Amino acid sequence: MDSRERVLRTLEGEAVDRPPCFSGMGNVTVHGLKKAGVRFAEAHGDAKKMAAAAASTYKLFGFECAVAPFDLGLEAEALGCELNFYDDGSERILYPTVKTKILKFGEELNVPEGLAERGRVPMVKEAIGLLKDDIGDEVAVGSYVLGPYTLAGQVMDLNDLLKNSFKKPDEVERILRSLSTAIVTIAAELKEAGADYITVREMGAPADVISPRMFSSMVLGPLKETIKGIDGPVILHICGNTNPIVELMVEAGASAIAVDQKNDVAATREKLGPTAVILGNIDPYNTLVKGTPDEVKAAVKGVIQSGVNGVAPGCDIWPEAPAENMEALVKATEGYEPN
Amino acid sequence: MSEEEILEGLKKSVIDFDEDAVKEYAQRAIDEGVDPQKAIFDGLAAGMEVVGDLFQKGEYFVPEVLMCADALYAGLDILKPHVKVDEKTRVKGQVVIGTVEGDVHDIGKNIVKLMFDIAGFTVHDLGKDVPLDRFVEEQLKTDSDIVALSAMMTTTMTGMKKVIEKIREKNPKVKIMIGGAPVTEETAKAYGADATAKDATNALSEAIKMVSSLREMQK
Ligand code: B12
Repeated sequence: MDSRERVLRTLEGEAVDRPPCFSGMGNVTVHGLKKAGVRFAEAHGDAKKMAAAAASTYKLFGFECAVAPFDLGLEAEALGCELNFYDDGSERILYPTVKTKILKFGEELNVPEGLAERGRVPMVKEAIGLLKDDIGDEVAVGSYVLGPYTLAGQVMDLNDLLKNSFKKPDEVERILRSLSTAIVTIAAELKEAGADYITVREMGAPADVISPRMFSSMVLGPLKETIKGIDGPVILHICGNTNPIVELMVEAGASAIAVDQKNDVAATREKLGPTAVILGNIDPYNTLVKGTPDEVKAAVKGVIQSGVNGVAPGCDIWPEAPAENMEALVKATEGYEPN
Repeated sequence: MSEEEILEGLKKSVIDFDEDAVKEYAQRAIDEGVDPQKAIFDGLAAGMEVVGDLFQKGEYFVPEVLMCADALYAGLDILKPHVKVDEKTRVKGQVVIGTVEGDVHDIGKNIVKLMFDIAGFTVHDLGKDVPLDRFVEEQLKTDSDIVALSAMMTTTMTGMKKVIEKIREKNPKVKIMIGGAPVTEETAKAYGADATAKDATNALSEAIKMVSSLREMQK
């Protein structure tokens, strides 16, 4: 069974020979960037560089996927926000951020025509195509979009969003529904370019930010629509405190859910039963960056014993993760039976 | 209405994020001659303290806290103009706060800022993704006692070290505190910060300690 098949079968809940070691999110490392001769800041705006960086973690360490892009600004930019890529010519690793917001609460959200042609959508599509040509026969190629609530936080003032989530939930929900259509449109483009699976990142809505009640009454509906609108395997990822909302995450309808180190996966497995596909939840910083290879191995054992179906970092892999740790992560996973 | 009822009303209305009720009680406090300083601290701020606890316990979430804050500010707007300016109590201290360059995570920073506001500090909020030199400039411009830096990512966290060095160079007396999820006691030591705190309530008590030690030094 090759990596691609292992990942895709895992996402469909089908039998595999061992758990895959992969992610639905960014996983470039400084080692890969160096080898590809790409600076992080330029990897966001050039299809060839993005593809080279995205393929490098597989090529160097055997990590079983390639994911592009690496930032959370693709949809916001297509909708009209300006991004900051922090490209000062140096090698420093700063993640792109949204510089200008386009929506004031109370105003109508205009989803522009031709989203597929806006911002970096065509460029990311090209990068996915290049990845497919390069390594698409061996590993699964993934891409991601934001969930509607997280995207809302990118395109409008976050404090306004949070407060109005309480004061005017109906209006917020209306915004989320129109954002959902934009997300579905962009996801379809990424699929068309060749992405084997899509991750929906709703990291703006964990239980350390909003209440499970609000998640259920306001976020869940539009999130379901988003996931339903995307063809093929979908991973729903939320980082932060997710134990109180794992059932709602499953209800959202994705093929698999992915959680970070704050989640007690054994408890989650018990709640969700044997058929739910759970990915996680190696601590990207304390284990992968700060830990030793032995600690990484122990962490892999830990998450498998807790019941994950795929070994995945809790969030984006932190580019500074030492090479020995990346190797240990993949190697250790190879030694286990599937859950 | 008794003073006690008014203070209790202010407190409860902040907890219930009932802006209108806070305004009413604040007006009542003025009309019935309650010491506005007392109304702020034993009414509004006391309510916010409970809100902080509810947040820590996971009964309140970020939207609730932000709405309680709005209710509190509505009361402050009414009460503050009536507070007699007494030099000794007024100058509690000034804080420059912000999330460092490259980092947009500002939910936690905003909650810390809120606690400083309530306690009577003058807060200069630089926002998020703040170029490192801006902290140095703002401190010099305002002659603030404290600089509070927030970072939620391990890469942006290293920016705090640079800010600390730059500030120390210009003005060694300034107290500097750092915070955010990846920041530990060890980080604070290694970067040369004076303090860190895991949450907003502890951030405030650290700030109060800092200011009193500064005042001691000035004596
Ligand atoms: C919400 C969120 C977002 C939102 C942020 C919205 C906003 N405007 O703030 C969005 C979706 C935009 C986002 C983006 C990204 N995120 Co994010 N995000 C989170 C999340 C889920 C919650 C953070 C939060 O607000 N918590 C709630 C608040 C109340 O808690 P707090 O911030 O810790 O604050 C408290 C204390 O720390 C303390 N405190 C805070 N500041 C200060 C300051 C001082 C002086 C003191 C004393 C105390 C103090 O008091 C606060 C109140 O009690 C965390 C995961 C997590 N649970 O931490 C990831 C997380 C922080 N994000 C992460 C990542 C990787 C990203 C991205 C890089 C993803 C990407 N590929 O682009 C981008 C960053 C872009 C950028 N350049 O900044 C990682 C960081 C990993 C690391 N090791 O550095 C985390 C930890 C997720 C993970 N599991 O790996 N994110």
